[in-house]
Amino acid sequence: MANEKSNLEGLRKACEAYVKKKGALAFGLANIETLERTAPEGSRPSDMLPKVKSVISIGVGGGTRGSWSADAKTLAYIGDTETMAYRIAYGLAFYIEAKFGYRAIFVPPDMDPEKGARVPMQSLKLHAEVAGIGARSMAGDILLHPEYGMMYYASVFTEMKMPPDQPMADNPCPHPSCVQLYRKSGQTPCMRFCPVECLSGSIGDDDQVEEMHYDAHACAEMSQQYEAIPSILLDTLDAKDPIERGMALHGPENQVIWYKLSVGAGELLSLCYECMRVCPITQTAPMANPVARGAGMRQKIVEAEAAARTEHAIEQDSHKEN
Amino acid sequence: MAYGVTQQMIDTFGEIVFKLSLNKQIRRGDPVRKLDFSAIEATREESGLTDKEIAERIGLLPEQVSVVRVFTERKHHKIDQHRRLYHLGGGKRWKKEAYRSPAERLQFREDAMMIRKAIKFLPELAARYIEKGYWINETLNGHLINYAHITPDALAIIHPEGELSYKHLKDSVDELTNGLMKIGLTKGDVVAVQLPNTLEFIISYFAITAFGGVMQTIHMPYRDADIKFLLTHSKARAVICLPAFKDFNTAKVMLSLKEKSDTLDHIITIGEVSPKGTKAFESLKITGTPKIDNPPVGSDPFLLLYTSGTTSNPKGVPLTYQNMIGNARLSVPEFHMTPADRNISAAPFSHLYGLYNFHVALCAGAANILLPVFTPPDLAKTIEKTKATTVFLGPPHAASMINAGLLDNHDFSSVRFSMFSGSTCPPSILKTYRDKISNHSDGTRIGQLWGMTETAGATFCRDDGPKDLALKSAGPAAPGNEIRIVSAENDEVISANTEGELQVRGSSVFPGYLNNSEANADAFTVDGWFKTGDIAIIDEFGNLTITGRTKDVISRGGVKFNPADIEDLIVSHPNVEQAAIVPMPDPILGEKACCFITLIDNMTMTLEDLCNLLDSKKIAKNKWPERLVIIDEMPLTPTRKIIKSKLIEKL
Repeated sequence: MANEKSNLEGLRKACEAYVKKKGALAFGLANIETLERTAPEGSRPSDMLPKVKSVISIGVGGGTRGSWSADAKTLAYIGDTETMAYRIAYGLAFYIEAKFGYRAIFVPPDMDPEKGARVPMQSLKLHAEVAGIGARSMAGDILLHPEYGMMYYASVFTEMKMPPDQPMADNPCPHPSCVQLYRKSGQTPCMRFCPVECLSGSIGDDDQVEEMHYDAHACAEMSQQYEAIPSILLDTLDAKDPIERGMALHGPENQVIWYKLSVGAGELLSLCYECMRVCPITQTAPMANPVARGAGMRQKIVEAEAAARTEHAIEQDSHKEN
Repeated sequence: MAYGVTQQMIDTFGEIVFKLSLNKQIRRGDPVRKLDFSAIEATREESGLTDKEIAERIGLLPEQVSVVRVFTERKHHKIDQHRRLYHLGGGKRWKKEAYRSPAERLQFREDAMMIRKAIKFLPELAARYIEKGYWINETLNGHLINYAHITPDALAIIHPEGELSYKHLKDSVDELTNGLMKIGLTKGDVVAVQLPNTLEFIISYFAITAFGGVMQTIHMPYRDADIKFLLTHSKARAVICLPAFKDFNTAKVMLSLKEKSDTLDHIITIGEVSPKGTKAFESLKITGTPKIDNPPVGSDPFLLLYTSGTTSNPKGVPLTYQNMIGNARLSVPEFHMTPADRNISAAPFSHLYGLYNFHVALCAGAANILLPVFTPPDLAKTIEKTKATTVFLGPPHAASMINAGLLDNHDFSSVRFSMFSGSTCPPSILKTYRDKISNHSDGTRIGQLWGMTETAGATFCRDDGPKDLALKSAGPAAPGNEIRIVSAENDEVISANTEGELQVRGSSVFPGYLNNSEANADAFTVDGWFKTGDIAIIDEFGNLTITGRTKDVISRGGVKFNPADIEDLIVSHPNVEQAAIVPMPDPILGEKACCFITLIDNMTMTLEDLCNLLDSKKIAKNKWPERLVIIDEMPLTPTRKIIKSKLIEKL
């Protein structure tokens, strides 16, 4: 039994080591039973991979500190690192199959056209939340991590069994300073500075989120230009004159969309980020700073090496005693 | 409709589908993280349902929910939201009042687009004007703001009741701009102005154009019929006028036109108290700097002037800042005009010449002296009192001052330069004027300027050109312009000192008539030369002398009008068979109208009868014939057109 447990832990450590070596910040295993119970029918892990035994969630760092200081248009283009997360998850699926011989898939982060406009095939957020590497925030349920701030997530399903993690014990949102502002003004920074006023809600007496209201449609109007593509085509058909028609298809903003499509970027074209720009967790999480993150990692390595040396010394001592 | 979905189904279920889908999400507490499964179930619906789940809830097929949702989301969807990004980040924070969607901010009314559509220049010419610096991004208010900033205390306006610095003028303009914007006027709207050369005219002009409006001028003598045509053609949204002028109840006429108009919304009358139904000019003023979301730029139209035209109705001439203000800016160094100058225009600002002169002084940062209504004594007294240095006038102004002996009785020592334009300039008047002014101001110079509403200041004598040139010529082309003479027979360019038809091309030349494709088709050559219809000579140095006109327009004291509509009215008299109005020479006004008629058998007609007829038809007095000639038979072409040149020979 102890051996089996040790083996499972070994598999987990190998997977964690792989993704961290590739640049992921966080690694977690979601409890499969919880997901099967929580996700709606059609979006459960077993709906995608019937014999799934483990759901791996990884988190990759968001923007650099510099990007948070840049103008919004720049941040919109450099702020998201989701493709990096996807790349690592893809690699992990291959790694598991090659190294351990279990089937694995990279979980597609896409929407399910049969379910609705904003319904994903699988909720990557739910995976990460249950895996304990993020908790839902007031900012439209964007997941936050006390150490890494805002991350992008990707998931891998595998038939290889590994021991699951638990959700985070504490939710870093709302930050004490946000609670303070809320008590004074009735709004948290993310609510106040959302350009399309898509966030509202309340904080209870226990300083925890009581209710979070998120106008996803308004947020999408602002941040996701892919929503605009059919609108552009309809506007083109409805255009009153050739100039309006030409602008609908060839206006500068719309040209960006065609450009992105033509080069097959395959990602969201523009995000707003204003809620995260003013989020104290995102901005002050110790490991959100890449410089600190580097130092932190180095420190962890030093500590691990020290621990390893200590263990070795104890072993040596015990040998001597024996 | 797909899957049996009807519009009625979308109307019935659209909002509930929108609400149940993932468009509006609510989370209570932290149920997933706390693994509180009962709470997760309880909030399941509030955090959004799939189309299938919605279908089960409301009794539709999932595919039908999808169609209903798509159409409803489309109805809710706002476009251009991502443009807000441009106003964010890098230390900027979102504020409600800081952002207006460009679609809303830069909206033009359909009527405003009418004038913008008339602005069309040949691309190769536009490129040349920009490359040479003839066209830059300048506006009327841009010059005002500039001088209000760099020389705030310098005199901008001298008027009968006082003086105004550039800063104070700017403040006054701001007040009225706020008021005009508050009543709903926006960029591209036409505001007609029928005012003399008063301070209110100047403030109105700047205020209308400050928010991007287009000023249309209406000459002071115009009455009901003329005004009705002009306001209808321009689709003016507002009129600024006097409550009444001489025997003309302006406000009453404007209000009656407003009642019948689809576009005219506001009648603004000068003064603090306004006749019922109009707005008082003074009451519109609101202190503060106007917030203009869609400010004018150099290529915008800002003036709509009307020519007398050669057809029966006046023709609308839209002009851009680059046309008119560029023309004035380029003229400043040619006249050596400086901020120290004090400039007076005897010509009304409702005409191109008056406005051109105002612009030149503004571009120089000089002071403009206002002469509300011209009378010979008032002009002489004002020049003396204000110590005007540059005077822009027409031969009739000079002739009347000479005839009244005013040039001998007043002090003109401040005058260093006088410019003549507006009609053919008899050399005798120019010489007498120059000689008499020289008695006061040694070395004072005169010049001639030739221009049309369509060309602005096309040619003029330079301050430092040959001394006697101005007695016979309107000088060479203005900077940015070209002139040439073509043969009337074959349109070929002909050599110097040979009479032919004058053509003009250049940065000050208008883009084309407003809504008049017939006139536009004939107005320009394919390479952009404007056919002026005037007969002229250009000497070997490029100096222009106008010798006549090919068109029938009558120029009475520089105010041109086409007599065709007057002729039609005269022919409507029961005693008259045919009528033709031709110009007759006049030593003061240059030209006056002479009417030839043939009568129906045994009938009679006097000049007084004729004038009574025109008065009853509300025709402006300046268009009334001043001589009547009754003849037995009209000289006619084979196609029964009256040969006016033969009538002129009879004078």
